[in-house]
Amino acid sequence: MGATARGVSWLSRTTAVSRGALSRRDSAVVFSLVTLVYLLGFLLAIGDLNVRPEAGLSMLVVDDPLSRMFEPGPGPFAYEGIATIDLIVARYLFSPVNLAIGLGLSLLVGLNLALSYLAVTQPKSCGIGAGTGVLASVPALVSGTACCAPVIFLVLGIQASAALLSVFVWLLPIGVLLLLGSLAYVATKVDPTALGASSTVD
Amino acid sequence: MTERNEPRLTRRALLATVGVSTAALAGCTGSGSEGPYDAADDGSDADRESDDGGTESGEEGPPTREAVVPLDHDLESFNQNVLSGGVSQDGIPSIDDPEFESVDEVDGRLDDGDPVFAVAVDGEARAYPQSILVWHEIVNDRVGGLDLAVTYCPLTGTAIGFERGGTEFGVSGRLVNSNLIMYDRAGESWWPQVLGTAIDGPREGEALIEHPVIWTTWERFRDVYPDGAVLTERTGFSRDYDRDPYGSYNPKRDYYEDDGTMFDTMHDDDRHGHKEVFIGARDEDGALAVEKERLREDRLVEHDVGGVPHLAVYGPDLDTGYVYRNPEGASIEVDGEEYLVDGDPYPADDLPLERLNAFDAMWFAWVAFYPDTEVID
Repeated sequence: MGATARGVSWLSRTTAVSRGALSRRDSAVVFSLVTLVYLLGFLLAIGDLNVRPEAGLSMLVVDDPLSRMFEPGPGPFAYEGIATIDLIVARYLFSPVNLAIGLGLSLLVGLNLALSYLAVTQPKSCGIGAGTGVLASVPALVSGTACCAPVIFLVLGIQASAALLSVFVWLLPIGVLLLLGSLAYVATKVDPTALGASSTVD
Repeated sequence: MTERNEPRLTRRALLATVGVSTAALAGCTGSGSEGPYDAADDGSDADRESDDGGTESGEEGPPTREAVVPLDHDLESFNQNVLSGGVSQDGIPSIDDPEFESVDEVDGRLDDGDPVFAVAVDGEARAYPQSILVWHEIVNDRVGGLDLAVTYCPLTGTAIGFERGGTEFGVSGRLVNSNLIMYDRAGESWWPQVLGTAIDGPREGEALIEHPVIWTTWERFRDVYPDGAVLTERTGFSRDYDRDPYGSYNPKRDYYEDDGTMFDTMHDDDRHGHKEVFIGARDEDGALAVEKERLREDRLVEHDVGGVPHLAVYGPDLDTGYVYRNPEGASIEVDGEEYLVDGDPYPADDLPLERLNAFDAMWFAWVAFYPDTEVID
Protein backbone atom coordinates (compact mmCIF):
# COMPACT_ATOMS: atom_id res chain seq x y z
CA MET A 1 0.00 0.00 0.00
CA GLY A 2 1.41 3.38 -1.01
CA ALA A 3 1.76 6.33 1.33
CA THR A 4 -1.21 8.13 -0.18
CA ALA A 5 -3.44 5.09 0.05
CA ARG A 6 -2.30 4.52 3.61
CA GLY A 7 -3.10 8.13 4.44
CA VAL A 8 -6.56 7.85 2.94
CA SER A 9 -7.10 4.66 4.87
CA TRP A 10 -6.09 6.30 8.15
CA LEU A 11 -8.30 9.26 7.46
CA SER A 12 -11.20 7.01 6.58
CA ARG A 13 -10.70 4.93 9.71
CA THR A 14 -10.29 7.94 11.96
CA THR A 15 -13.42 9.56 10.55
CA ALA A 16 -15.43 6.41 10.90
CA VAL A 17 -14.29 5.71 14.42
CA SER A 18 -14.86 9.33 15.44
CA ARG A 19 -18.42 9.21 14.12
CA GLY A 20 -18.94 5.98 15.96
CA ALA A 21 -17.63 7.47 19.17
CA LEU A 22 -19.97 10.44 18.93
CA SER A 23 -22.92 8.17 18.30
CA ARG A 24 -22.41 6.30 21.57
CA ARG A 25 -23.82 7.90 24.66
CA ASP A 26 -20.89 7.18 26.98
CA SER A 27 -18.12 8.31 24.64
CA ALA A 28 -20.23 11.30 23.54
CA VAL A 29 -20.46 12.39 27.16
CA VAL A 30 -16.67 12.06 27.49
CA PHE A 31 -16.26 14.09 24.31
CA SER A 32 -18.59 16.87 25.48
CA LEU A 33 -17.11 17.15 28.96
CA VAL A 34 -13.52 17.12 27.79
CA THR A 35 -14.21 19.66 25.04
CA LEU A 36 -15.85 22.03 27.49
CA VAL A 37 -13.21 21.64 30.20
CA TYR A 38 -10.35 22.02 27.74
CA LEU A 39 -11.91 25.11 26.19
CA LEU A 40 -12.23 26.72 29.61
CA GLY A 41 -8.67 25.68 30.44
CA PHE A 42 -7.37 27.10 27.18
CA LEU A 43 -9.11 30.43 27.71
CA LEU A 44 -7.74 30.58 31.25
CA ALA A 45 -4.25 29.68 30.03
CA ILE A 46 -4.11 32.39 27.39
CA GLY A 47 -5.53 34.94 29.82
CA ASP A 48 -8.86 35.54 28.09
CA LEU A 49 -10.78 34.15 31.06
CA ASN A 50 -10.06 35.09 34.65
CA VAL A 51 -11.73 34.10 37.87
CA ARG A 52 -13.07 37.23 39.53
CA PRO A 53 -15.33 36.45 42.51
CA GLU A 54 -16.84 39.94 42.63
CA ALA A 55 -17.06 40.60 38.93
CA GLY A 56 -20.72 41.53 38.81
CA LEU A 57 -22.52 41.74 35.49
CA SER A 58 -21.37 44.14 32.79
CA MET A 59 -20.06 44.33 29.27
CA LEU A 60 -17.77 46.86 27.62
CA VAL A 61 -17.33 46.66 23.85
CA VAL A 62 -14.34 48.33 22.20
CA ASP A 63 -14.69 50.80 19.37
CA ASP A 64 -14.65 49.30 15.90
CA PRO A 65 -14.74 45.66 17.03
CA LEU A 66 -14.83 44.22 13.51
CA SER A 67 -11.37 45.47 12.66
CA ARG A 68 -10.01 45.04 16.17
CA MET A 69 -10.83 41.32 16.31
CA PHE A 70 -8.31 40.47 13.60
CA GLU A 71 -5.44 42.43 15.10
CA PRO A 72 -2.69 40.24 16.57
CA GLY A 73 -2.62 39.91 20.33
CA PRO A 74 0.42 39.55 22.56
CA GLY A 75 1.31 35.97 21.73
CA PRO A 76 1.76 33.98 18.56
CA PHE A 77 -1.60 32.93 17.09
CA ALA A 78 -3.39 35.19 19.57
CA TYR A 79 -5.78 37.96 18.61
CA GLU A 80 -7.30 41.02 20.19
CA GLY A 81 -10.46 40.92 22.24
CA ILE A 82 -13.44 43.07 21.36
CA ALA A 83 -15.37 43.05 24.64
CA THR A 84 -14.74 42.79 28.35
CA ILE A 85 -17.53 40.76 29.89
CA ASP A 86 -18.00 40.43 33.64
CA LEU A 87 -19.96 37.30 34.46
CA ILE A 88 -20.57 37.34 38.22
CA VAL A 89 -17.58 35.17 39.09
CA ALA A 90 -15.40 35.58 36.02
CA ARG A 91 -14.11 38.22 33.64
CA TYR A 92 -14.02 37.15 30.00
CA LEU A 93 -12.12 39.09 27.37
CA PHE A 94 -14.09 38.04 24.34
CA SER A 95 -11.88 37.49 21.32
CA PRO A 96 -13.82 35.75 18.53
CA VAL A 97 -10.66 34.46 16.83
CA ASN A 98 -9.13 33.15 20.05
CA LEU A 99 -12.44 31.48 20.85
CA ALA A 100 -12.53 29.84 17.42
CA ILE A 101 -8.96 28.59 17.81
CA GLY A 102 -9.74 27.33 21.30
CA LEU A 103 -12.88 25.61 20.13
CA GLY A 104 -11.01 23.86 17.31
CA LEU A 105 -8.35 22.64 19.72
CA SER A 106 -10.94 21.59 22.25
CA LEU A 107 -12.86 19.52 19.71
CA LEU A 108 -9.63 17.74 18.78
CA VAL A 109 -8.81 17.05 22.42
CA GLY A 110 -12.39 15.94 23.07
CA LEU A 111 -12.24 13.46 20.19
CA ASN A 112 -8.85 12.22 21.32
CA LEU A 113 -10.10 11.51 24.80
CA ALA A 114 -13.38 10.01 23.61
CA LEU A 115 -11.46 7.55 21.41
CA SER A 116 -8.99 6.89 24.19
CA TYR A 117 -11.92 6.09 26.46
CA LEU A 118 -13.22 3.59 23.93
CA ALA A 119 -9.78 2.08 23.38
CA VAL A 120 -9.51 1.43 27.09
CA THR A 121 -13.05 0.21 27.71
CA GLN A 122 -13.57 -1.99 24.67
CA PRO A 123 -13.29 -5.72 25.31
CA LYS A 124 -10.65 -6.10 22.61
CA SER A 125 -8.74 -3.08 23.81
CA CYS A 126 -5.01 -3.29 24.16
CA GLY A 127 -4.96 0.09 25.88
CA ILE A 128 -1.73 1.09 24.19
CA GLY A 129 -1.46 4.77 23.46
CA ALA A 130 -4.63 5.76 25.20
CA GLY A 131 -2.83 8.59 26.95
CA THR A 132 -1.32 10.17 23.84
CA GLY A 133 -4.26 12.54 23.44
CA VAL A 134 -3.70 13.91 26.93
CA LEU A 135 -0.04 14.54 26.22
CA ALA A 136 -0.82 16.07 22.85
CA SER A 137 -3.22 18.50 24.49
CA VAL A 138 -0.51 20.12 26.60
CA PRO A 139 1.47 22.28 24.11
CA ALA A 140 -1.45 24.52 23.20
CA LEU A 141 -2.24 25.05 26.86
CA VAL A 142 1.17 26.56 27.56
CA SER A 143 1.25 28.75 24.47
CA GLY A 144 -0.21 31.83 26.19
CA THR A 145 1.77 35.04 26.35
CA ALA A 146 1.56 37.83 28.89
CA CYS A 147 2.83 41.31 28.20
CA CYS A 148 6.51 40.75 27.63
CA ALA A 149 6.95 37.05 27.94
CA PRO A 150 5.34 33.64 27.74
CA VAL A 151 3.07 32.96 30.70
CA ILE A 152 4.58 29.55 31.31
CA PHE A 153 8.02 31.08 31.94
CA LEU A 154 6.49 33.43 34.47
CA VAL A 155 4.59 30.64 36.17
CA LEU A 156 7.57 28.31 36.36
CA GLY A 157 10.02 31.10 37.08
CA ILE A 158 12.45 29.91 34.44
CA GLN A 159 14.71 32.13 32.43
CA ALA A 160 13.81 32.29 28.77
CA SER A 161 16.61 31.67 26.31
CA ALA A 162 16.49 32.50 22.60
CA ALA A 163 16.21 28.79 21.80
CA LEU A 164 13.28 28.30 24.16
CA LEU A 165 11.53 31.33 22.75
CA SER A 166 11.99 30.04 19.22
CA VAL A 167 10.27 26.79 20.17
CA PHE A 168 7.59 28.65 22.07
CA VAL A 169 6.38 30.44 18.96
CA TRP A 170 5.51 27.09 17.38
CA LEU A 171 3.79 25.53 20.37
CA LEU A 172 0.26 25.97 19.10
CA PRO A 173 0.77 24.54 15.59
CA ILE A 174 2.87 21.77 17.14
CA GLY A 175 -0.02 21.08 19.49
CA VAL A 176 -2.47 20.86 16.59
CA LEU A 177 -0.23 18.44 14.70
CA LEU A 178 0.26 16.30 17.78
CA LEU A 179 -3.48 16.18 18.38
CA LEU A 180 -4.16 15.16 14.77
CA GLY A 181 -1.42 12.52 14.89
CA SER A 182 -2.63 11.25 18.23
CA LEU A 183 -6.20 11.08 16.95
CA ALA A 184 -5.18 8.99 13.96
CA TYR A 185 -3.10 6.75 16.20
CA VAL A 186 -5.75 6.20 18.85
CA ALA A 187 -8.30 5.46 16.12
CA THR A 188 -6.25 2.41 15.20
CA LYS A 189 -6.67 1.13 18.75
CA VAL A 190 -10.45 1.17 18.60
CA ASP A 191 -12.38 -1.69 17.08
CA PRO A 192 -14.72 0.00 14.59
CA THR A 193 -16.96 -3.03 14.28
CA ALA A 194 -17.82 -2.78 17.94
CA LEU A 195 -18.99 0.78 17.33
CA GLY A 196 -21.12 -0.13 14.36
CA ALA A 197 -18.98 2.13 12.19
CA SER A 198 -20.18 1.83 8.63
CA SER A 199 -17.09 3.01 6.82
CA THR A 200 -14.74 0.45 5.35
CA VAL A 201 -11.58 0.18 7.34
CA ASP A 202 -8.71 -2.16 7.10
CA MET B 1 7.44 36.37 15.90
CA THR B 2 7.46 39.35 13.62
CA GLU B 3 10.47 40.56 11.81
CA ARG B 4 10.89 44.26 11.20
CA ASN B 5 9.16 45.53 8.16
CA GLU B 6 11.70 47.94 6.78
CA PRO B 7 14.89 46.91 5.04
CA ARG B 8 17.99 47.17 7.16
CA LEU B 9 19.88 50.29 6.22
CA THR B 10 23.62 50.46 6.10
CA ARG B 11 24.88 50.85 9.61
CA ARG B 12 26.57 54.15 10.10
CA ALA B 13 30.05 54.24 11.44
CA LEU B 14 29.88 53.25 15.04
CA LEU B 15 30.22 56.23 17.27
CA ALA B 16 33.12 56.19 19.62
CA THR B 17 30.88 57.44 22.31
CA VAL B 18 27.19 56.89 22.33
CA GLY B 19 24.49 56.90 24.88
CA VAL B 20 21.88 59.12 26.34
CA SER B 21 21.84 62.80 26.94
CA THR B 22 19.50 64.49 29.28
CA ALA B 23 17.27 67.42 28.79
CA ALA B 24 19.74 69.61 30.56
CA LEU B 25 22.59 69.04 28.19
CA ALA B 26 23.53 71.71 25.75
CA GLY B 27 24.83 71.31 22.23
CA CYS B 28 22.38 69.22 20.31
CA THR B 29 22.16 68.09 16.79
CA GLY B 30 19.35 67.17 14.53
CA SER B 31 19.30 64.05 12.51
CA GLY B 32 21.48 64.00 9.50
CA SER B 33 20.55 60.46 8.73
CA GLU B 34 19.29 59.15 5.46
CA GLY B 35 16.10 57.17 5.19
CA PRO B 36 12.47 57.66 6.09
CA TYR B 37 13.12 60.69 8.25
CA ASP B 38 14.47 62.71 5.33
CA ALA B 39 11.14 64.05 4.18
CA ALA B 40 11.29 67.18 6.28
CA ASP B 41 14.80 66.86 7.58
CA ASP B 42 16.65 69.10 5.24
CA GLY B 43 17.51 71.94 7.51
CA SER B 44 14.51 73.85 6.31
CA ASP B 45 11.91 75.51 8.43
CA ALA B 46 10.50 72.11 9.16
CA ASP B 47 13.33 71.66 11.62
CA ARG B 48 12.43 73.40 14.81
CA GLU B 49 13.99 73.77 18.14
CA SER B 50 12.34 71.84 20.91
CA ASP B 51 11.54 73.27 24.29
CA ASP B 52 14.80 72.22 25.86
CA GLY B 53 17.11 72.94 23.01
CA GLY B 54 16.96 69.68 21.10
CA THR B 55 16.23 69.74 17.43
CA GLU B 56 13.09 68.20 16.07
CA SER B 57 14.22 66.82 12.79
CA GLY B 58 11.28 66.73 10.48
CA GLU B 59 7.56 66.20 10.91
CA GLU B 60 7.76 62.44 11.03
CA GLY B 61 10.58 61.30 13.26
CA PRO B 62 11.04 61.95 16.96
CA PRO B 63 13.32 64.81 18.01
CA THR B 64 16.77 63.59 18.90
CA ARG B 65 20.15 64.84 19.91
CA GLU B 66 23.60 63.45 19.50
CA ALA B 67 24.32 60.89 22.14
CA VAL B 68 27.18 61.80 24.41
CA VAL B 69 27.37 59.34 27.29
CA PRO B 70 30.17 56.80 27.00
CA LEU B 71 28.69 53.31 27.07
CA ASP B 72 30.33 50.12 28.12
CA HIS B 73 28.66 48.19 25.32
CA ASP B 74 28.84 49.20 21.68
CA LEU B 75 25.73 49.28 19.53
CA GLU B 76 26.59 46.01 17.84
CA SER B 77 26.68 44.29 21.23
CA PHE B 78 23.23 45.59 22.04
CA ASN B 79 21.96 44.28 18.72
CA GLN B 80 23.50 40.89 19.33
CA ASN B 81 21.71 40.67 22.65
CA VAL B 82 18.26 41.56 21.37
CA LEU B 83 15.73 38.83 22.17
CA SER B 84 12.15 38.28 21.17
CA GLY B 85 9.87 38.35 24.18
CA GLY B 86 7.56 35.98 22.35
CA VAL B 87 5.40 38.95 21.41
CA SER B 88 4.80 40.30 17.91
CA GLN B 89 5.38 43.94 16.99
CA ASP B 90 2.45 45.90 18.42
CA GLY B 91 1.21 42.66 20.01
CA ILE B 92 1.42 44.85 23.11
CA PRO B 93 -0.58 47.77 21.76
CA SER B 94 0.38 51.30 22.66
CA ILE B 95 -2.39 53.66 23.69
CA ASP B 96 -2.65 56.21 20.93
CA ASP B 97 -5.90 57.94 21.87
CA PRO B 98 -5.69 58.18 25.64
CA GLU B 99 -8.70 59.38 27.60
CA PHE B 100 -8.44 61.06 30.99
CA GLU B 101 -10.65 61.85 33.92
CA SER B 102 -10.21 64.18 36.83
CA VAL B 103 -8.79 63.06 40.16
CA ASP B 104 -12.26 63.33 41.68
CA GLU B 105 -13.77 61.01 39.08
CA VAL B 106 -11.41 58.14 39.80
CA ASP B 107 -13.51 56.97 42.73
CA GLY B 108 -12.39 53.52 43.94
CA ARG B 109 -10.62 52.46 40.75
CA LEU B 110 -7.22 53.03 42.35
CA ASP B 111 -6.02 52.23 45.86
CA ASP B 112 -3.89 54.74 47.72
CA GLY B 113 -0.73 52.66 47.41
CA ASP B 114 -1.13 51.76 43.75
CA PRO B 115 1.77 52.98 41.64
CA VAL B 116 1.13 55.69 39.08
CA PHE B 117 3.54 57.49 36.78
CA ALA B 118 3.29 61.25 37.11
CA VAL B 119 4.05 63.71 34.34
CA ALA B 120 3.83 67.48 34.66
CA VAL B 121 4.35 69.87 31.77
CA ASP B 122 3.63 73.56 31.84
CA GLY B 123 1.22 73.33 34.75
CA GLU B 124 -0.63 70.29 33.39
CA ALA B 125 -0.26 67.10 35.44
CA ARG B 126 -1.27 63.60 34.45
CA ALA B 127 -1.12 60.23 36.16
CA TYR B 128 -0.70 57.00 34.24
CA PRO B 129 -1.65 54.02 36.43
CA GLN B 130 0.86 51.20 36.35
CA SER B 131 -2.08 48.77 36.20
CA ILE B 132 -2.93 50.11 32.74
CA LEU B 133 0.57 50.63 31.42
CA VAL B 134 1.60 47.09 32.29
CA TRP B 135 -0.66 46.01 29.40
CA HIS B 136 0.35 48.75 26.94
CA GLU B 137 3.83 49.99 27.92
CA ILE B 138 3.54 53.14 25.80
CA VAL B 139 1.06 56.01 25.80
CA ASN B 140 1.42 58.41 22.89
CA ASP B 141 0.11 61.55 24.50
CA ARG B 142 0.22 65.34 24.37
CA VAL B 143 0.73 67.03 27.73
CA GLY B 144 0.96 70.76 28.24
CA GLY B 145 1.36 71.21 24.49
CA LEU B 146 4.26 68.78 24.32
CA ASP B 147 4.01 65.55 22.31
CA LEU B 148 5.23 62.91 24.70
CA ALA B 149 5.54 59.16 24.76
CA VAL B 150 5.10 57.97 28.33
CA THR B 151 6.75 54.57 28.46
CA TYR B 152 6.94 51.80 31.03
CA CYS B 153 8.78 48.50 31.02
CA PRO B 154 7.37 46.05 33.60
CA LEU B 155 10.36 43.71 33.50
CA THR B 156 12.91 46.41 34.38
CA GLY B 157 10.62 48.63 36.46
CA THR B 158 11.42 51.75 34.45
CA ALA B 159 9.11 54.59 33.46
CA ILE B 160 10.57 57.24 31.15
CA GLY B 161 9.11 60.01 29.02
CA PHE B 162 10.36 60.85 25.54
CA GLU B 163 9.51 63.71 23.25
CA ARG B 164 8.00 62.12 20.18
CA GLY B 165 7.60 65.02 17.78
CA GLY B 166 5.21 64.14 15.01
CA THR B 167 5.47 60.40 15.30
CA GLU B 168 4.30 57.71 17.68
CA PHE B 169 6.19 54.97 19.39
CA GLY B 170 5.15 51.34 19.46
CA VAL B 171 6.27 48.17 21.20
CA SER B 172 8.59 46.13 19.00
CA GLY B 173 8.12 42.90 20.96
CA ARG B 174 11.90 42.70 21.35
CA LEU B 175 13.92 43.11 24.51
CA VAL B 176 17.48 43.77 25.48
CA ASN B 177 18.54 43.29 29.09
CA SER B 178 14.84 42.49 29.67
CA ASN B 179 14.08 46.07 28.69
CA LEU B 180 11.39 47.19 26.26
CA ILE B 181 12.65 48.06 22.80
CA MET B 182 10.42 50.73 21.32
CA TYR B 183 10.19 51.49 17.64
CA ASP B 184 9.16 54.77 16.10
CA ARG B 185 6.43 54.56 13.51
CA ALA B 186 8.12 57.06 11.22
CA GLY B 187 11.24 55.09 10.42
CA GLU B 188 11.18 52.04 12.66
CA SER B 189 14.45 52.61 14.41
CA TRP B 190 14.84 50.48 17.52
CA TRP B 191 15.11 52.36 20.80
CA PRO B 192 15.76 50.42 24.02
CA GLN B 193 13.86 52.37 26.64
CA VAL B 194 16.57 52.63 29.32
CA LEU B 195 19.18 53.57 26.75
CA GLY B 196 16.96 56.07 24.92
CA THR B 197 19.35 55.66 22.03
CA ALA B 198 18.62 53.95 18.72
CA ILE B 199 20.63 50.76 18.40
CA ASP B 200 19.48 50.02 14.87
CA GLY B 201 17.64 51.65 12.00
CA PRO B 202 17.95 55.02 10.33
CA ARG B 203 18.39 56.87 13.64
CA GLU B 204 21.09 54.52 14.93
CA GLY B 205 23.31 56.24 17.49
CA GLU B 206 20.95 59.16 18.09
CA ALA B 207 19.40 59.79 21.50
CA LEU B 208 15.83 60.78 22.26
CA ILE B 209 15.04 63.83 24.34
CA GLU B 210 13.78 62.64 27.70
CA HIS B 211 11.16 64.10 29.95
CA PRO B 212 10.79 63.32 33.66
CA VAL B 213 8.25 60.67 34.59
CA ILE B 214 7.94 60.22 38.35
CA TRP B 215 7.13 56.82 39.82
CA THR B 216 4.84 57.59 42.73
CA THR B 217 1.59 56.38 44.29
CA TRP B 218 -2.00 57.32 43.61
CA GLU B 219 -2.34 58.91 47.06
CA ARG B 220 0.75 61.08 46.61
CA PHE B 221 -0.22 62.15 43.11
CA ARG B 222 -3.71 63.08 44.32
CA ASP B 223 -2.27 65.16 47.15
CA VAL B 224 0.29 66.97 45.03
CA TYR B 225 -1.86 67.43 41.93
CA PRO B 226 -5.50 67.64 43.08
CA ASP B 227 -6.39 69.22 39.73
CA GLY B 228 -4.53 66.60 37.75
CA ALA B 229 -5.94 64.12 35.25
CA VAL B 230 -5.77 60.35 35.31
CA LEU B 231 -5.61 57.92 32.40
CA THR B 232 -8.84 55.91 32.17
CA GLU B 233 -9.35 52.27 31.28
CA ARG B 234 -11.11 53.31 28.08
CA THR B 235 -8.02 52.48 26.06
CA GLY B 236 -9.72 51.03 23.01
CA PHE B 237 -8.57 47.54 24.00
CA SER B 238 -10.07 44.71 25.99
CA ARG B 239 -7.76 44.00 28.93
CA ASP B 240 -8.19 42.89 32.52
CA TYR B 241 -6.76 45.96 34.21
CA ASP B 242 -7.42 44.49 37.65
CA ARG B 243 -4.85 41.80 36.97
CA ASP B 244 -1.11 42.29 36.62
CA PRO B 245 0.38 39.31 34.79
CA TYR B 246 3.67 39.71 36.64
CA GLY B 247 2.38 40.03 40.18
CA SER B 248 1.60 43.07 42.27
CA TYR B 249 3.20 46.24 43.60
CA ASN B 250 0.54 46.84 46.24
CA PRO B 251 1.61 44.73 48.07
CA LYS B 252 4.77 43.83 46.22
CA ARG B 253 4.88 40.18 45.16
CA ASP B 254 5.84 37.66 42.47
CA TYR B 255 8.08 38.98 39.68
CA TYR B 256 8.41 42.40 41.28
CA GLU B 257 9.69 40.87 44.48
CA ASP B 258 11.37 37.62 43.44
CA ASP B 259 15.05 37.76 42.63
CA GLY B 260 14.67 35.86 39.35
CA THR B 261 14.85 37.53 35.97
CA MET B 262 13.17 36.46 32.75
CA PHE B 263 15.99 36.87 30.28
CA ASP B 264 19.78 36.87 30.14
CA THR B 265 21.43 40.24 30.46
CA MET B 266 24.68 41.62 29.07
CA HIS B 267 26.15 42.05 32.53
CA ASP B 268 25.29 40.70 35.96
CA ASP B 269 26.32 42.23 39.27
CA ASP B 270 25.44 40.58 42.57
CA ARG B 271 26.17 43.53 44.83
CA HIS B 272 22.42 43.97 45.18
CA GLY B 273 19.27 41.97 44.69
CA HIS B 274 18.11 41.98 41.09
CA LYS B 275 14.87 43.80 41.81
CA GLU B 276 16.20 46.31 44.32
CA VAL B 277 15.09 49.79 43.27
CA PHE B 278 17.67 52.40 42.37
CA ILE B 279 17.32 55.93 41.07
CA GLY B 280 19.35 56.00 37.88
CA ALA B 281 20.70 59.01 36.01
CA ARG B 282 23.35 59.56 33.38
CA ASP B 283 25.06 62.39 31.56
CA GLU B 284 28.27 63.02 29.68
CA ASP B 285 30.24 62.30 32.86
CA GLY B 286 28.88 58.78 33.24
CA ALA B 287 26.11 56.91 35.02
CA LEU B 288 24.99 57.10 38.64
CA ALA B 289 22.72 54.75 40.58
CA VAL B 290 21.37 55.75 43.99
CA GLU B 291 19.75 53.13 46.17
CA LYS B 292 16.24 54.50 46.70
CA GLU B 293 15.94 53.27 50.27
CA ARG B 294 19.26 54.92 51.17
CA LEU B 295 18.06 58.18 49.63
CA ARG B 296 14.83 58.03 51.63
CA GLU B 297 16.85 57.74 54.81
CA ASP B 298 19.67 60.19 54.08
CA ARG B 299 17.66 62.72 52.02
CA LEU B 300 20.89 64.01 50.42
CA VAL B 301 23.79 62.05 48.95
CA GLU B 302 26.76 63.34 47.00
CA HIS B 303 29.15 61.52 44.70
CA ASP B 304 31.62 62.21 41.92
CA VAL B 305 30.79 60.89 38.49
CA GLY B 306 33.63 61.05 36.01
CA GLY B 307 35.39 63.38 38.42
CA VAL B 308 32.46 65.82 38.50
CA PRO B 309 30.44 66.28 41.70
CA HIS B 310 26.85 65.07 41.47
CA LEU B 311 24.16 64.86 44.12
CA ALA B 312 20.77 63.31 44.69
CA VAL B 313 18.03 64.68 46.90
CA TYR B 314 14.84 63.05 48.11
CA GLY B 315 11.44 64.50 47.31
CA PRO B 316 9.11 63.30 50.07
CA ASP B 317 5.88 64.54 48.48
CA LEU B 318 6.15 62.13 45.55
CA ASP B 319 8.59 59.72 47.22
CA THR B 320 11.17 60.12 44.50
CA GLY B 321 14.74 61.23 43.93
CA TYR B 322 16.18 64.06 41.89
CA VAL B 323 19.75 64.01 40.58
CA TYR B 324 21.80 67.11 39.86
CA ARG B 325 25.20 67.86 38.40
CA ASN B 326 27.12 70.14 40.72
CA PRO B 327 30.37 71.00 38.90
CA GLU B 328 30.95 74.16 40.93
CA GLY B 329 30.62 72.26 44.17
CA ALA B 330 27.81 74.39 45.58
CA SER B 331 27.07 73.81 49.24
CA ILE B 332 23.90 71.75 49.85
CA GLU B 333 22.13 71.08 53.15
CA VAL B 334 18.87 69.48 54.14
CA ASP B 335 16.45 72.04 55.58
CA GLY B 336 13.20 70.42 56.64
CA GLU B 337 11.45 69.33 53.44
CA GLU B 338 13.61 71.69 51.39
CA TYR B 339 17.30 72.05 50.63
CA LEU B 340 19.65 74.95 51.21
CA VAL B 341 21.87 75.70 48.24
CA ASP B 342 24.58 78.14 49.23
CA GLY B 343 22.25 79.21 52.03
CA ASP B 344 19.04 79.70 50.01
CA PRO B 345 16.07 77.27 50.32
CA TYR B 346 14.77 75.31 47.32
CA PRO B 347 12.35 72.41 46.82
CA ALA B 348 13.90 69.07 45.90
CA ASP B 349 12.77 69.25 42.28
CA ASP B 350 14.00 72.75 41.64
CA LEU B 351 17.54 73.23 42.91
CA PRO B 352 19.47 75.89 40.98
CA LEU B 353 21.70 73.24 39.46
CA GLU B 354 21.78 71.21 36.27
CA ARG B 355 19.10 68.56 36.76
CA LEU B 356 19.50 65.19 35.08
CA ASN B 357 16.59 63.01 34.12
CA ALA B 358 16.38 60.38 36.85
CA PHE B 359 14.11 57.39 37.08
CA ASP B 360 13.47 54.29 39.15
CA ALA B 361 15.04 51.11 37.82
CA MET B 362 15.57 47.58 39.01
CA TRP B 363 19.22 47.07 39.88
CA PHE B 364 19.82 44.20 37.46
CA ALA B 365 18.63 46.25 34.51
CA TRP B 366 20.50 49.42 35.35
CA VAL B 367 23.79 47.62 35.88
CA ALA B 368 23.28 45.55 32.74
CA PHE B 369 23.11 48.73 30.66
CA TYR B 370 25.69 50.63 32.70
CA PRO B 371 28.12 48.16 34.28
CA ASP B 372 30.59 50.94 35.12
CA THR B 373 27.94 52.98 36.91
CA GLU B 374 28.84 54.83 40.05
CA VAL B 375 26.78 53.47 42.91
CA ILE B 376 25.53 55.10 46.10
CA ASP B 377 24.22 52.37 48.38
